[in-house]
Amino acid sequence: MSPSLPACPRRSAPLLVHAATLVLLALAVHATPARGQTLDDGLTLPRRQLRVGVEYGHDRWDRYWEGTLRRSNENIGTLTTQSVTWTAGYGVTSRLTVFATIPHVWTRASEGVLQEMRGWQDVTVAAKLGLLERRVADRATVGTVLLVAVGAPISDYTPDFLPLSIGLGARRATARGVVHLRDHTGVFAEAGAGHTWRSTVHLDRPAYYTDGHLVLSDEVAMPDVFDYAVGAGYQRGGLRLPIMLVGQRTLGGGDIRRQDMPFVSNRMDFVRLQARAMYALPRARGVMLGAGFARTLTGRNVGQSTTLWAGLTTVFGL
Amino acid sequence: MPHAVVASPPGRARRVVSTALALLVSAVGVAGCDRTVQPTEVLPALQPGSVDADAGSWRMLVLGGPEQFQVPAPAAVTSDLYRAELAAVKAAQARMTGAQRRALDYWSGGGVLRWNQLLRELVARYNLPPAPRPDGSYAAPDAENPFADPQFPFANPPYAARAYSYVSVAQYEALKAAWHWKFRYGRPSPARVDPDVQALVPTGDLPAYPSEDAVLAGVTAEMLKLLFPASVDEITRRAAEQREAALLSGKATASDVAAGLALGRAVAAVVIARARADGMGAAGGTPAEWQALADDARARGEIAWVSLETPARPPMLPNFGRVQPWTMSAAEAVGLEPGPPPSTSSTRMQEEVAEVRHAVEGLTRAQLAIALRWNDGAGTYTPPGHWNDIAAEYVRDARMSEVRAARVFALLNAAMHDAAVGCWAVKFRYFNPRPSQLDPSIRTTIGLPNFPSYPSGHSTFSAAAAEVLGYFFPAHAAELAAMADEAGISRLYGGIHYRSDIEQGKAHGQRIGAHVVRFARADRAE
Repeated sequence: MSPSLPACPRRSAPLLVHAATLVLLALAVHATPARGQTLDDGLTLPRRQLRVGVEYGHDRWDRYWEGTLRRSNENIGTLTTQSVTWTAGYGVTSRLTVFATIPHVWTRASEGVLQEMRGWQDVTVAAKLGLLERRVADRATVGTVLLVAVGAPISDYTPDFLPLSIGLGARRATARGVVHLRDHTGVFAEAGAGHTWRSTVHLDRPAYYTDGHLVLSDEVAMPDVFDYAVGAGYQRGGLRLPIMLVGQRTLGGGDIRRQDMPFVSNRMDFVRLQARAMYALPRARGVMLGAGFARTLTGRNVGQSTTLWAGLTTVFGL
Repeated sequence: MPHAVVASPPGRARRVVSTALALLVSAVGVAGCDRTVQPTEVLPALQPGSVDADAGSWRMLVLGGPEQFQVPAPAAVTSDLYRAELAAVKAAQARMTGAQRRALDYWSGGGVLRWNQLLRELVARYNLPPAPRPDGSYAAPDAENPFADPQFPFANPPYAARAYSYVSVAQYEALKAAWHWKFRYGRPSPARVDPDVQALVPTGDLPAYPSEDAVLAGVTAEMLKLLFPASVDEITRRAAEQREAALLSGKATASDVAAGLALGRAVAAVVIARARADGMGAAGGTPAEWQALADDARARGEIAWVSLETPARPPMLPNFGRVQPWTMSAAEAVGLEPGPPPSTSSTRMQEEVAEVRHAVEGLTRAQLAIALRWNDGAGTYTPPGHWNDIAAEYVRDARMSEVRAARVFALLNAAMHDAAVGCWAVKFRYFNPRPSQLDPSIRTTIGLPNFPSYPSGHSTFSAAAAEVLGYFFPAHAAELAAMADEAGISRLYGGIHYRSDIEQGKAHGQRIGAHVVRFARADRAE
């Protein structure tokens, strides 16, 4: 009934180990409707359902935006960021779901001499509240979801070694609203927007230069971040296929200067196209497989990355 | 109208909404408690412990003496001319804007310290290497075209060491001359002459003519325009702001400011003439010279340094070792240099490479913090800037007069310039490869500098700086020496230097620092 989860990834657990674990788990279990598990969709879990999952992410870029200038860098080559993210979600009520995620991240540059970095990144705890769900003309359902999330680093990684740092090191709080519309054929549309407040970040050095100024402090103010997502998809039975346009705008911060390295408080903006597929296995109750793809279309002070995900979640009966 | 079905009773919806609000408030509380930056190096209004009335007799580094430039006698404080100036000060004070008041408060922290902060900012702004061109070559920054890409200058560590020293030495020379004339003429500040002039900063007993603020504005702006020509607008604006602040604060009248400005500019012209002839123009070298450095190392049977950047970048300022030092002759400088590094084919070298590899492979978080703390790489104010950062707080806390503060920065930065010259001479004599060249498995935790390894520039700069600062602030000598040691070992943790680079660099820096301390002991400022 409750399959065991793959073991906690070792520091250098190769991709194959994770993939094999996921496939074995996938073969073990039975069907459930595809329900929300991510922080940016409009879905909540049924009451008293505990869902635990793991997702592998593989993100790489060989072009990045130095400010607004798109370029390559032969001393970085291809920057690869891999992650294994553990998630847990619990339906407190039919309208309130709480989540937690913990990613383990490792980065590597294919060229140059800079060392790779790895470690546990930030824990995120979120509450998702379904509100004002209404049936419209017996054909469709419209609803809203409010999400509140907080995050904080869970290891002492440095945010001062970008692009190889595994995270930005800030504590943060996010509020997000999502409106979703589903019709009886399974077609759905969603639109959401969020705002993230971030704490200052401490560096190991006593001064830094960014956004035209030398700051005589080890402390860096982190600008707020606005994000949005719009998309549509199809959901029927155990299958859910969303395609989303996801954007982020950092509300402040400086550009990477010409031939400089990125800095933690840079104005990091992007628009990404993202497609995911979630599939509840028909003969394995409670197990859902997921896969995804994303590509950065435009950006500023970020890599033009291509991301692949593969993951699995499973329900624990409570 | 389509009929809608409310999914839950109203009471439940209210509970849900209030839960959502509670979650939001607590979430923002968790993350939002620390949103603003606490700056260090806050400068309260300067109140010197001593006016240093004899500073006009302190030993010069560049000027022939304090009277090399004559400052004409000022009008008497009883003259109509001076009364008109007082009236102008009072009128300006009466219509002072908020922005003027903020500028006044800013500059009240001390001109030497403020300009040092601004200089560090300029260095960080310009400390970026040229980007490669599509054909894989690198354009050299061009002083005649400073706004282009690449911008001029590339304020790398040697450039920065020289820039800090020229600005600081020029300020020091100009202030000693100013002090000479101040005490020659003894004209009080306007706030002392006329009780209707407000003293908006502590004025003390320092004579006002020529204005030390205007001297600093004049000399510093001229030096900075030479060194950072693309920032001419900001430099000019800051200098004008400092002069205006002197007037508005009740410290100086228009003639105090005019005399100070003229003196500052005159001293700058002398120092700039020295800068134009100090050898910096040839420091970049030529492709033939770069090749000769490698050929020479190979002829000695050694592995020659190569750039590990892609595309390969020319070495950083290979002829900087021939730039003129401040406090020693070329022959004296050579006498302080360390001998050769271990041969690249020696067992000793293999052991040192292995030590670097083990260091970076087993690096602790505390060691990484040390590597990052002292990284001071591209885009920063450089290692000499870091030591100016360190010095600034000691200078502030010691409540020094402007001229005495200028002495600390002048001798500190002269020592670091001489350290850069000496270190670069040795680096390019031996042209020794970096650890990652001898062992490509060594991955660095900081950027790899694009010049030969031996000896460590950080170690040389830091030991020289700690030696000089330890002399000026003897109660802190031990902590300064510990900082210098940490700066040195940070390069091993970074994976970019061998232990012998660090040890020999430190010893070299200490000898250079000791030489500057001998100068300081005899400069009549004690």
